[in-house]
Amino acid sequence: MTGFVDLYTEGDTVLHRMDPRVKIFAVLMLTLLILMISSLVHLLILLAFIALLVALGRAPFSKVSLALRFVLRVMIMIVILWPIFDPSGTPVLATLGPVRITEPGVMRGITNAVRICCLATVWYVLMFTTPQRDLVRALVKLGVRFDFGLTLSIALRFLPTFSATVESIKDAQRARGMEFDKGSPLRRSRNYISVLIPTIISALRTADTLSLALQSRAYGARRHRTYLRELKMRASDGVALAVVVAAFVMPAVAKFFLKVPV
Amino acid sequence: MIPAADSRAADDKIISIHDLKFIYPGGVQALSGVSLDIRRGEYVAIVGGNGSGKTTLAKNIMGLLRPTSGTVLVNGTAVAGQRIASIAHIVGYAFQNPDHQLFCSTVWEEVRFGPQNLGYPADDMDARVEHALRSMDLMSVKARPPFSLTLSERRRVSIASVIAMDPEVLIFDEPTTGLDMRESEALMASIARLNSEGKTVILITHDMKLVAKHAKRVVVMSEGKVILDSDPAGVFSDLEVLLASKLMPPPVVRLAYRLSTRGVPRDVLSPEELVLRIMMARGDFR
Ligand SMILES: Nc1ncnc2c1ncn2[C@@H]1O[C@H](COP(=O)(O)OP(=O)(O)O)[C@@H](O)[C@H]1O
Ligand SMILES: [Mg+2]
Repeated sequence: MTGFVDLYTEGDTVLHRMDPRVKIFAVLMLTLLILMISSLVHLLILLAFIALLVALGRAPFSKVSLALRFVLRVMIMIVILWPIFDPSGTPVLATLGPVRITEPGVMRGITNAVRICCLATVWYVLMFTTPQRDLVRALVKLGVRFDFGLTLSIALRFLPTFSATVESIKDAQRARGMEFDKGSPLRRSRNYISVLIPTIISALRTADTLSLALQSRAYGARRHRTYLRELKMRASDGVALAVVVAAFVMPAVAKFFLKVPV
Repeated sequence: MIPAADSRAADDKIISIHDLKFIYPGGVQALSGVSLDIRRGEYVAIVGGNGSGKTTLAKNIMGLLRPTSGTVLVNGTAVAGQRIASIAHIVGYAFQNPDHQLFCSTVWEEVRFGPQNLGYPADDMDARVEHALRSMDLMSVKARPPFSLTLSERRRVSIASVIAMDPEVLIFDEPTTGLDMRESEALMASIARLNSEGKTVILITHDMKLVAKHAKRVVVMSEGKVILDSDPAGVFSDLEVLLASKLMPPPVVRLAYRLSTRGVPRDVLSPEELVLRIMMARGDFR
């Protein structure tokens, strides 16, 4: 039983109250910043700052650990594989047949693992503190077409339903003696046809019903929509915006104009 | 002598459930201490409002869900630790939604899928599939794609695909949902025939008319517990328990109930019986 987990948790922290448009912008800026920084020490400082944001958003431990478990797996893979495929530089630490491990290779592996951790955590903070409907609302307000926003929120809304359907379909086939994890890899992937087809058909049926339901409620009747909840920027949002822009611009100037390594 | 009788009695139980509790991973307690024995060849209806735990119970019998505590024995062996595929030799479960299992390009292939999974011999496969299709009156659509059929036909295909595996116990989860009167009567007649051929039938439903007409034993569930286990007349006479579990006796029983002040007995299950009882109460036969 693999339940779909919504990372968002209700709360009333600074991050919860922040305008979702500002949050999305901030996350994009931080993403650029993380991609720009190449010093491991600076990345670690940034990671500490991001961890502070997680604490500020009061994400529950269960969800944080769920998210981190996934990130950790990716990080371990990067640390192991990066030096093997990127052996440039000296000194050489070890040679195993055709495989050469160098010290800069190992360092780059660690740096990139930390970078991935930073990236993932920044986006997690957004997910932890912003309900899906606010994310979509913000995108629409930022100029994304409403159709697209609606499609996105319907997709998000149906993810849990969909994963329940898949479970039910798997159960139905198991009850008919299907053993999914038996046989050769080819056999196993063929076994999943018995899940794939009912899943697709059920999705198509749902889509069909849904489009009728939307039309019967006059979706698309007018080009200009009114909204029940409008987004409003507050002074605190302005402050947050300024902080994030400064946090990006200062290192960028240092790196590209003053040629200081960051 | 006595041990022999004992083991016979134990043998008689095809399904034996003791103090079964089940909690879903999300924390919902769907079953809170169900004990239930079902004998070979019985026709048992499991009734109860939505969310009372009927489907969860069925999935525990089938081994699709594993008990949080308590035991489920199928044919004397604990379900825990058995593969679902080996339980499927004994128990067949027709899901509530037939579209959750249909995927083949013809009805024939769909029905053949289960027996093939269970490794049944190829030489009598055709006979097996044909028998299942006949018992659900589907021979005329055997070459059609299942998705192109009506709901009633799709439901019968899903049942035929269970029958083809030849299990001793058949569980039907709300098989008449979405069917009209004639379709459900035809389906119920087919299920009754399977029972008379020796299959143990467990019918999950909230259609009290079907229960009154077909079941010989009714198990009433409410909030994850069995609150009543009796013959239909016994269950319908306990109006309070029925209403408490969000169920209504069938109209004919309610009418008999109203007439009970006029000397008509309450344990009436069919219109024919009611007519007879009214005539008796009036003294038509004196
Ligand atoms: N996959 C699931 N995850 C969590 N809770 C569930 C799941 N399926 C059913 N439940 C809950 O378990 C209870 C019993 O459900 P179910 O056995 O489907 O009842 P019924 O078949 O009698 O309508 C309900 O409260 C339902 O919400
Ligand atoms: Mg159910």
